[in-house]
Amino acid sequence: MKNAKWFWATLIVLLAVALLFTGCGPQSGDGGESGDGGGSTASVVKLGFFAPITGGDSAEGTAARNAFLMAIAAANASGEYPYTIETIVIDDQGTDSVAVAGANQVVADPAVVAASGFWNSGPAAAASAVFKEAEIPLLIWGAIRDDLTNAGNYPYITRSAPTASQENSASAAVVLDDLGYTDWFIVSDAGDYGQGNLEVFTQELSKRGLTPLGSEVVQEDATDFSAVVAKIKNSGAKAVYCGSTVEIASLLKLQLYQAGVTDILFAGISGMKTPDFLKIGAEAAEGALVVSPGVDLDSTDAGRAFTEAYNLAGYSEPIGAYTPYAYEAALILLNALSACGDAPTAEAMVDAIKDSETTGIFGTTTFDEIGQTTNVATYLNVVQDGKWINYLNSEYADGTRSFGGQ
Amino acid sequence: MVPMGYLLDLIGSAVLLGCTYTLVAIGFSLFFGVMDVVVFCCGDIAIFGAFSILASYTILNGLGVTGTWPLLLVILLLLLIGILFCAVLGLLTHRFSIKPFEKSSALMPLLSTIALGTVIREVIGLMFMPVTNGVADMVAGENAVHVVSGRNPQSFPSLLSLGGSTAARNIIIVLVTVVILLLLFLFLNKTKTGLAMQAISQNKELSLMTGINVSRSIVITFVIGGVVLAISGFLVGSYQTIMSFDNGSMFGIKGFSAAVVGGLRNTWGAVLGGMLLAFVEVMVSGYVPNGSAYASILAFVVVVIFIVFKPEGIIGEKTVEKV
Repeated sequence: MKNAKWFWATLIVLLAVALLFTGCGPQSGDGGESGDGGGSTASVVKLGFFAPITGGDSAEGTAARNAFLMAIAAANASGEYPYTIETIVIDDQGTDSVAVAGANQVVADPAVVAASGFWNSGPAAAASAVFKEAEIPLLIWGAIRDDLTNAGNYPYITRSAPTASQENSASAAVVLDDLGYTDWFIVSDAGDYGQGNLEVFTQELSKRGLTPLGSEVVQEDATDFSAVVAKIKNSGAKAVYCGSTVEIASLLKLQLYQAGVTDILFAGISGMKTPDFLKIGAEAAEGALVVSPGVDLDSTDAGRAFTEAYNLAGYSEPIGAYTPYAYEAALILLNALSACGDAPTAEAMVDAIKDSETTGIFGTTTFDEIGQTTNVATYLNVVQDGKWINYLNSEYADGTRSFGGQ
Repeated sequence: MVPMGYLLDLIGSAVLLGCTYTLVAIGFSLFFGVMDVVVFCCGDIAIFGAFSILASYTILNGLGVTGTWPLLLVILLLLLIGILFCAVLGLLTHRFSIKPFEKSSALMPLLSTIALGTVIREVIGLMFMPVTNGVADMVAGENAVHVVSGRNPQSFPSLLSLGGSTAARNIIIVLVTVVILLLLFLFLNKTKTGLAMQAISQNKELSLMTGINVSRSIVITFVIGGVVLAISGFLVGSYQTIMSFDNGSMFGIKGFSAAVVGGLRNTWGAVLGGMLLAFVEVMVSGYVPNGSAYASILAFVVVVIFIVFKPEGIIGEKTVEKV
């Protein structure tokens, strides 16, 4: 029995250390003096931030957290705010229930005046109800399911990232209209993200009078797609649309390549556009075409400045497709805080956010009548020789190389 | 009419997937057979082995070993390192997660190994990058090759894809699985230690009375389990090519299910269970429209059916307890 006690003590210490390092549970980010947590004071204003910091989506979530805290730290250092801005970072683990628990914790803190969050649509939808009920504004930076912003949630829920429809529409214009692919096989995951993409891409096909030759919904933790690959091979499809994140997309592309299914276009959505996709090897990844939100960071001064600042900060997680959006979300909240004077409240922040006009990396963001950003920008990337390249600058665009299935 | 080639593709896929489930299931069977406890972190131990091999490969890569030494020697060296790590982890699992609960209900080691699995996953996610890069810098200096965060998907070296051929890799995976099964069979049935382990599995008290060193046998079981799981991790990594730190939980659940379906105490049952689950998953995915969404569900329905109607598994023996 003594051994058992010793074991559990060791295990609890190990878990506590792991949780401390991984950011499970709340963390106070951004430096500055710690608030007393017992009520709103003139010296501390708190923001909530949600991202999947552990689990399969942790690379994207951690990079987003880094960018958000980077903007808040710069704001605190600037001396422009007569109070210290603290961030309560919640690791939502990409899970609805964890997100709701975190949201309840954030809204219970009287010093919190606004929050930003969510890479996954499911947790975003679940937590939105909590914020709406508490009448605390939530600005979504990464979840793209269309219905997250709607008249019922307005003005409490706003979103600075494009929706799944907006992303897929840009992608469809190229792969369906410009490149002219008609024989599609759709693969998506069973999560909210995958289902949202499946729905809108099918709609894009339908608008053009097309029906997919086949579609498969795979589990989010699936790693073996050999049966799906066999189905794709057997369907005669000339193009595959993958509406999922990098873990599934990279394995599917790799397993297609290994099965010799190379004469086929592999197109996808922003969730797969990370450096991790390239780990399957240059040959296997070649020709993957993906839409990304925003504008190419290398193409603007603001983008290059953000990349430089992020890299200088020494974060180990590379910039993902939505990392700049998390940074922009922080800028929007900071802009709204400035508009609220010396003693911002959640009530004042609701109006300040919906009426805000913030110039960031991707231009000027304002919100429409349901809280969706009006600053919609997307661009296409393609893998060429083991690197993600802006499609317009690639050899695929100038005709030197061609996609499979053409 | 679905072409025959399509069916053959699916059968090949199912066999390979079955091999990955089987090796993890053997770990469950081995531990349960001797200790009468479910060591739920088997999948995580296997993935820990794969990450150990990946870290070692990265470090050796910086030293230029992987490009100059014969491939077979590199593979053996990496396997040896993976086996060492997994065997030590197996022993630590026994020492801290099983032994303290020897006199407790079977639920306690089950819970403690589930918790340990979480710790293993988080340790991989947290420590893979700093430890690998730190050691690489120390031994290879400027030539060191670095990895990215352990939470990102990692690319496993394609050491078995001889000349870039996945067919060769697939054949090796099946052959190695068969060889491991045969060696394990010979060890358990033809050696004194193996027979002692089987005796403990049948009656621990009687084994003690007949002079079998139970403690030693248990330690050997965890070392052998570690060896099997390390090789399993290596084969899973080679098959998937891309690995995540949290893959262990999925492999653990599938491996456990395979072991239950086959018969928890029986190594051959683990093979049958692993293959049955894999065939159900692949055939449902392959022949049912949009079947991938239901493949895992149906595989687990099979598990539930076995638990209800044949709890001893396909080739497990019914146990009768006299009251």
